[in-house]
Amino acid sequence: MASPQSLIERLNRGVTKRNARWSFVNSQPFGTALELRRFRLGNGLSAVTLIDRAAPTVSYHTWFRVGSRHERPGKTGLAHLFEHLMFNETKIRGRGEFDRLMERAGAEANAATWTDWTYYYENAPKNALPLVIELEADRMSNLVLREPQVRSEKEVVANERKLRVDDDIEGRALEQLYATAFRRHPYRWPTIGWMKDIRGFTVEDCRRFYRTHYAPNNATVVVAGDFDERQALSLIQERYSHLSPARQIDTKPRPKEPAQRSERVLRITAPTPTDKVLIGYHAPPFSDPHTPALSVANEVLFGGRSSRLYRLFCLDKELALSVRGAISPFVDPGLFEVWISLREGKRQKDAIALLDKEVARLAADGPSDIELEKAINQIELSFLHSMETAGGKAEQVGFYETVVGSGTAFDRLDAYRRVTPAQVKRAAAKYLRPSRRTRVEISETAA
Amino acid sequence: MTRATKARLLVESSNVLPLVDVEIAFRVGSLQDPIGKEGLAQLTGQLLRRGPHGISADSFEDRLANLGARLTVDTAMRTTRIRATTLRRNLEPLLDLVADMVWRPALRARDFAKLKRHAQASLLSRLDDDQTLGAIHLRERLFAGHPYGRSTSGSADSLRRINLRDAERFYTRYLETGAFIVGVSGDISDSEAESLVDAHFPRRTKKMNGKRDVPATHIRRGRHVVIVDKPERTQTQLYIGTLGARTHDRNLFPLIVSNTAFGGTFTGPLMQEVRAVRGWSYGAYSRLTHSDQRDAWYMWSAPSAEYSADCAALELELLDRWVENGLAKASLKFAQQYLINSHCFNRDTPSKRLESRLDIELLGVPRRYVERHDELVAQVTRKKANDATRARISPRDLVMVVVATAKDVKNAFEKLPGVSSVEVVPYRQP
Repeated sequence: MASPQSLIERLNRGVTKRNARWSFVNSQPFGTALELRRFRLGNGLSAVTLIDRAAPTVSYHTWFRVGSRHERPGKTGLAHLFEHLMFNETKIRGRGEFDRLMERAGAEANAATWTDWTYYYENAPKNALPLVIELEADRMSNLVLREPQVRSEKEVVANERKLRVDDDIEGRALEQLYATAFRRHPYRWPTIGWMKDIRGFTVEDCRRFYRTHYAPNNATVVVAGDFDERQALSLIQERYSHLSPARQIDTKPRPKEPAQRSERVLRITAPTPTDKVLIGYHAPPFSDPHTPALSVANEVLFGGRSSRLYRLFCLDKELALSVRGAISPFVDPGLFEVWISLREGKRQKDAIALLDKEVARLAADGPSDIELEKAINQIELSFLHSMETAGGKAEQVGFYETVVGSGTAFDRLDAYRRVTPAQVKRAAAKYLRPSRRTRVEISETAA
Repeated sequence: MTRATKARLLVESSNVLPLVDVEIAFRVGSLQDPIGKEGLAQLTGQLLRRGPHGISADSFEDRLANLGARLTVDTAMRTTRIRATTLRRNLEPLLDLVADMVWRPALRARDFAKLKRHAQASLLSRLDDDQTLGAIHLRERLFAGHPYGRSTSGSADSLRRINLRDAERFYTRYLETGAFIVGVSGDISDSEAESLVDAHFPRRTKKMNGKRDVPATHIRRGRHVVIVDKPERTQTQLYIGTLGARTHDRNLFPLIVSNTAFGGTFTGPLMQEVRAVRGWSYGAYSRLTHSDQRDAWYMWSAPSAEYSADCAALELELLDRWVENGLAKASLKFAQQYLINSHCFNRDTPSKRLESRLDIELLGVPRRYVERHDELVAQVTRKKANDATRARISPRDLVMVVVATAKDVKNAFEKLPGVSSVEVVPYRQP
């Protein structure tokens, strides 16, 4: 593999326009066998390459630093609706042509939006990379937004909302949890948006959003898999360098959420045969130095069949069918979520009492050395599994570039390995206090 | 390099990540459940999963977790698969534990009683998931009275009838015999895998048991609507299905190509008409499953209650058009290109490559389906695809399952063309 300096020298030969010149940022080992390289085009587009020839496939991700945190009340859900619209026509390609070309090439194309980002990806046979680069570059600047497409896509999103939120118990509870736990920060509204807002979007809203956020200097492209690095960078240079950077990228901090001082409780009903409880404790940002210890605490409490709470809730006491914990991987402080699906006839207050007792025990005594080792081994296993495909690697890289801004997922794995029992104890004591949490109790609608 | 080291061992090596997957696969599944004791195979698998004699179930879990390992026992209609995955450095101690579990399971009465209660609770929890609820009802109605219509998880009644002795007998008859195939994939060489498997899973029998003659499935004549009545639904889950094809059906590949063109991609007419043009559902697709006997073909979508019946009418119209008129030449070519070009994603990890090979051994999938996939797809002509569609998909004989609030949709579904019966079933009905 050519050195990055000699690579960009060759790519920049004869290139005079500033926007089209590559610069090399840095490189970093990615695990023991692979290397990640970071480049930047003159117009601000970041590109990260990761060559892995294990299979004849390539994954191409485009991560934009825009999500629901960049919306405002009354216009919630715009980032997500926009993600849908990106699959429509451009100035040079008709409606549906993007998907037709991708599918004919055997590529899977899709996208996702959350609070802090939106990403688009293609998992493709390796020979389809030039097509993928061409189509992604095209829709970054040439998207056509018209009334019929916006109208039909609003209907699709309204249906998606019904599917994932209105008629889904956990989806509904999660929406209510964040709306109650956050009072100032944009994390209080759902990424899919409130139904009224979805119905109200205009074509002009969408055009403004596109102009503001879809620019090369607000995006990172990740190429992972079996490809020729020089060819890929050359194609990116050719296809993206005519794009101008946006003059103003919205990077201003969002309102800080005031500290929560007492528990908030919300009760909802649904047609369900058993009660459920969803809890959210205010948690640190993903990149906070305390997060690895809190993640280990999560693993000790909820990770798999040997975890403390699975064993207690699902096996010993037979209170619940399932218990889960997760930390929202957000740029700003999010929530440590706990989901408990009770068995028929079991009471929510018993579940909460048991949860509090066990969390207090962890906060007082910390985990044993064996529990810690077990938790870290399990985290490592999950992590390695997520890296099996080119798409999995590209997703990890894109996420770290966008949310953390530096380092790789392997640095995080090292951070987990350095966690001590005392740090887990401190994290549990600091973050998992009832006064910092919001609780949503779900019970069956009265007949 | 990839090769089968022995008939009962399959290895797929890759040293990209320090992970190894091990699969012990039996040709035994819920088809072996005695009538009235549906759920036995799954319950026995879960009881086995509680670990070997001599250590408690809790200690067994601790040891697995400490190795950075995960272990599942998955029961399907025709197979039981013990799947273990671990960090490479801990493979040998993991195999010690798994072999102990397979050869000397504890099968404790206390664990059995807990598992039965857990299985009953799991049945209840399915009622929360409308999509799963619809899929279960579709299979039950499509294969009414046939083993394919029986649930792998059983029912509240059938689980109640199963006792520990049943599970012990099931284990002795089908699992203890050692009639399984071992698959290993990941960071391991063929010779390492062979010696480890020989040491832990010595052959006990040459015969793979579990082969069972399943009677032919029969199509139910007419169009039948089943409304699974659940309160407060703003949206519906809509399944429209009929019989599809057998694994050994000469029409299988033509039908795979034809179905891909109709509802297997984002750009096919089903998704385009339902989602892209009308915005009626977040998704709409058709699926073809195949087995020893004709299995299911179905369409799925999730339209709002207000236009659920309109969406069903549209799908029926598209179905009629697909079967009557067949595919255009361009659609056929497009589907072939899609299937051939995307085939690399069926084998981009060692575990996926292993699964394909296990399917050949366990499910009787002809070897050429895997090894000559692209050629078989390319050989499908327009005539073959259209003839296969007409021969196998009957638009007149359909089961339509809609999970919805019945009062909001019943009248409209009764008016759909050709409907011969409409039945309303409460969602909590077993």
